[in-house]
Amino acid sequence: MSQAFRFLSVPGQAVIICALALLVFSAFPFAWMASTAFKPSHEIFATPPTLWPTTFTLENIERLFAETKFLTYFRNSVTVSLSAVGLTLIFSVPAAYSLTRFRFPGREQIAAVVLFTYMFAPVMIIVPFYILIRFLGLTNTHLGLVLAYTAFCLPFNLWLLRTFFQSIPIDIEQAALVDGANRFQAIIFVVLPLALPGVVATGIFTFILAWNDYIFARVLLSRDELKTLPVGIADLYNASVVDWGMIMAAGLLVLAPVLAVFVFIQKSLVAGWGAGGVKG
Amino acid sequence: MAEDVALRSKALWRFRLPEPVLGLLLVLPAVSLLVALTMYPVLYGVWISLFNKHSFFPEQTFIGLGNYVAILGDAEFWASVQRGAIYAVSTIVLQIVLGVAVAVLLDQRFPGRNILRAIVIFPYIVPTVVAVILWKWLLNSQFGLVNYLIESAGLSNQPISWMGRDWIMTSLILVSVWQFFPFVVIGVLARLQTIPGELYEAATVDGASAVQRFTNVTLPQLKSILFVIVLLRSIWMFTKFDTPWLMIQGGGAETYIRTLPVYTYQRTFAYYEAGLGSAMAVLMFLMLAVGAAIYFRLWRREEEL
Amino acid sequence: MSRRRGLVSIAFAAGAMFGLCGPTLSADKVVRVWHTETEPQTVKAFNDIARRFEAKNPGIKVEAEGLAWGDLEGKIMASLAAGDPPELSHGQPITCTALQAKGLLLPLDEVVKAIGESNIWEQVKRVCNVGGKQYGLVHAAGTSLLIYRKDLADKHGIKQPKTWDDLVAAAKALTLDTNGDGRTDIYGITIPGDNLFINILLGELIKANGGQLFDKDNRPTLTDRKVIETLEFWRELARYAPPGWEGHGYLQTFQNLYGQKSAMMLAGYGRGAGMIERFAPKEMANGETFSVWVKPHGPSGTEPATQVDEEPWMLFRGAKHTKEGVEFLKFFYQDENYLEYIRTVPIHFFPITKSLRESPAYRENDMIRRWKSWLDVQEQYLERDQGKPTLVVEWSDMTEKPYLMEVLGSGILRDMVIDVAVEKMEPTKAAEKAQKRLEDLLRSKGYIKG
Repeated sequence: MSQAFRFLSVPGQAVIICALALLVFSAFPFAWMASTAFKPSHEIFATPPTLWPTTFTLENIERLFAETKFLTYFRNSVTVSLSAVGLTLIFSVPAAYSLTRFRFPGREQIAAVVLFTYMFAPVMIIVPFYILIRFLGLTNTHLGLVLAYTAFCLPFNLWLLRTFFQSIPIDIEQAALVDGANRFQAIIFVVLPLALPGVVATGIFTFILAWNDYIFARVLLSRDELKTLPVGIADLYNASVVDWGMIMAAGLLVLAPVLAVFVFIQKSLVAGWGAGGVKG
Repeated sequence: MAEDVALRSKALWRFRLPEPVLGLLLVLPAVSLLVALTMYPVLYGVWISLFNKHSFFPEQTFIGLGNYVAILGDAEFWASVQRGAIYAVSTIVLQIVLGVAVAVLLDQRFPGRNILRAIVIFPYIVPTVVAVILWKWLLNSQFGLVNYLIESAGLSNQPISWMGRDWIMTSLILVSVWQFFPFVVIGVLARLQTIPGELYEAATVDGASAVQRFTNVTLPQLKSILFVIVLLRSIWMFTKFDTPWLMIQGGGAETYIRTLPVYTYQRTFAYYEAGLGSAMAVLMFLMLAVGAAIYFRLWRREEEL
Repeated sequence: MSRRRGLVSIAFAAGAMFGLCGPTLSADKVVRVWHTETEPQTVKAFNDIARRFEAKNPGIKVEAEGLAWGDLEGKIMASLAAGDPPELSHGQPITCTALQAKGLLLPLDEVVKAIGESNIWEQVKRVCNVGGKQYGLVHAAGTSLLIYRKDLADKHGIKQPKTWDDLVAAAKALTLDTNGDGRTDIYGITIPGDNLFINILLGELIKANGGQLFDKDNRPTLTDRKVIETLEFWRELARYAPPGWEGHGYLQTFQNLYGQKSAMMLAGYGRGAGMIERFAPKEMANGETFSVWVKPHGPSGTEPATQVDEEPWMLFRGAKHTKEGVEFLKFFYQDENYLEYIRTVPIHFFPITKSLRESPAYRENDMIRRWKSWLDVQEQYLERDQGKPTLVVEWSDMTEKPYLMEVLGSGILRDMVIDVAVEKMEPTKAAEKAQKRLEDLLRSKGYIKG
């Protein structure tokens, strides 16, 4: 895997072409979103469409901030999603570790049951879930929503982390224990660094699920100040005059900070690989 | 300092918990939360499926399996199952194939790789609402960029109605694959990074080509993560509600992408039949359970530990 | 080291969880108001009105939320199931009567008296009026409009269509290839393809053809000649709509109009005026280029019929602060507050109070002056009782047919229209299929026996 990159070789060129195709597939829609976000209303419907706005304008973004609670929705989404990640990992990391390292009665059954609960479509659970949350007095609170996300992310967190822990050979821990470390130290200093890419990946998935959720946020929250982005943006779209410029501006602003975060995380994912490789 | 900590930890651990107890203790918080927050709604859903219950109003009448009989005799139910299956299978296959291919690509070293790795994830991190709206705009039959490009390239002389009868399923699949293939990429890439380099070196020494290295070294190593990914994506795509639903909102030929989750939602929230809707959810669950059981049986041998 | 870090993170998490609980303790009386007007300027105006009310009434807080119609119904449902409905909410007229039939609403007669009974248009008062009591009070009425390109109509000598055949002929004549490249550039008419609007249009067309959807015994009458004629009309008209119209939602149909992809719009609304001004080319963005015709009637009908978009406010019996809700509504309809609300979508929000409609402040509004003809046609429909709510064919339907809500949601009528107009199924066959599905639905809900 550590060959220097050769531009002129056939495989090298194939890689570049594929990389470019991938770039277009993944990123071009966003470029188009940005383009629309900065165009004035009249230009948005012009034929032929222009990629680079002939008139570059910030009026869509201004309208977004002035007329809607976009910033509030954004802040809410960040709070709720991060909390969901934290809470879920706190519960699922020890549990997944336990499922792969310890033998205890009911282990396989628990794993199977966890998966089975996941198969019940959120769409159908939403009403009884709402009643439950109301019973706990948590409607219209972010905590209620975070609990919902935790409940729904736990199953796949457990499964995903279980696989990542499974892929870390038990010999490494045994070696550490033999070297005089206790179990706790072995976990913190040996296993976790190796599992870090997996934990980070799982954390990312949880974040995304919470970030993207529409149906729970819609039903469990009714106060406008508490809304998360998906609900806020859906409302903007359904507003009878579809302000494409403003909607695209909203989408763009949703993306920009998360983009920065992911560029940062990429580095730690690569570093994790470098530090944790299995060496003889 | 470190010694102090080590001493204190050792003291704590001298009182050594038996392994099964420790194991259960670590699992307990997660399982309790899950039971409390998921089991109740699930059980209530099963309970209410035996009743004829109006979604708005509290009155309900017990009708046993009446809802189930009605569903199984409903032509629209079977049509929605078929649409849902087409949607799920197409999107899963495309997501996996594309995801693995892209992960392998991103495991190669080339300039700009790290940036591309970040960019690839973009579609996944955008809320579904934004993704659907964005693609609806791109696929707008009159003003969308895609049709403009297609017509300019001469591939068609009529604007394609992406949200109309003939193409809406394709549009839906396209948006879903675009949005979710990064999930596969992240999982597979993380796994690829832990494959020991020596295995590839050994294969190269043995004279294996790139394709052979992929099939004989990479794929077997990916089996376990792919098992989980295919399972998770299958469950999600089969029960996916918000993507087709949001595509229907504000115009989209609903009849042709009315998948089972969408139809289930409609029976509860539009036909106002909460009992029947729950029965459909239970049927959906049973279908998935049977599918999962078959899946597990096929892969049982691969499971370690 | 790690233990200390562990303790700190636990404390942090606990603190975060408490922080997330949010303010739940308040001595104020909270009036929750759910409405379906999500346009930013309307939301803002509504919130301004709410704040002014709070300033005049210390101790009362108004929590307003704007939701899309589809989401609103789901939320109302969830809240009723949990026994926790809001004080006030919008709803479809048929939803209002369905809820009233179950005893879930309180009458709003106090508000009507405060506004002045004779101050409200007759048509409006008929909405959700049960047993002489007003259980729903319309927030604003906007009728469905046949919008057309006057410049193109004049150019091609098209006169106002009086019958459906005239309309089809006009649509055909206005499907044009404007630049001579052999491809149609502008289609005669645009029609919606989504569930709500197909139902709205179908109800209106059947009335315009002198027919009905259900008979006195709640049996669907879809195989009736008058309904078949309506389906055939739809099929003919669809030939002159942009291909893929079955995937065109409400907003797309407006886009087709102001984006010059279609010359007429059958299910248009006053909202279109705002969109035209914002998105159409500047020289065309006015009420002279985009004008309104009174709708034609069908072969078996005698006079025009149109749907009226008029969601009533509903007051829920099970809510905590209904008295305060009533006070808020009274405040809302006072001319200076109501004007602020109406002004946000002035051509679509037709005021329910004559006092506002005739007030100089209203009449002097720029946009209202610019699009006068649109408003005059709406007033005409209302005065002549040619406008009805969605799926309501006769006023008696409102109280005698409480299942219209389920019929609308089921999409059965929509599937029937798609079968005929897109799948090219024989109208009689499609009608029979839909008839059976509707009968099953009504039977399972106990509205027909046997």
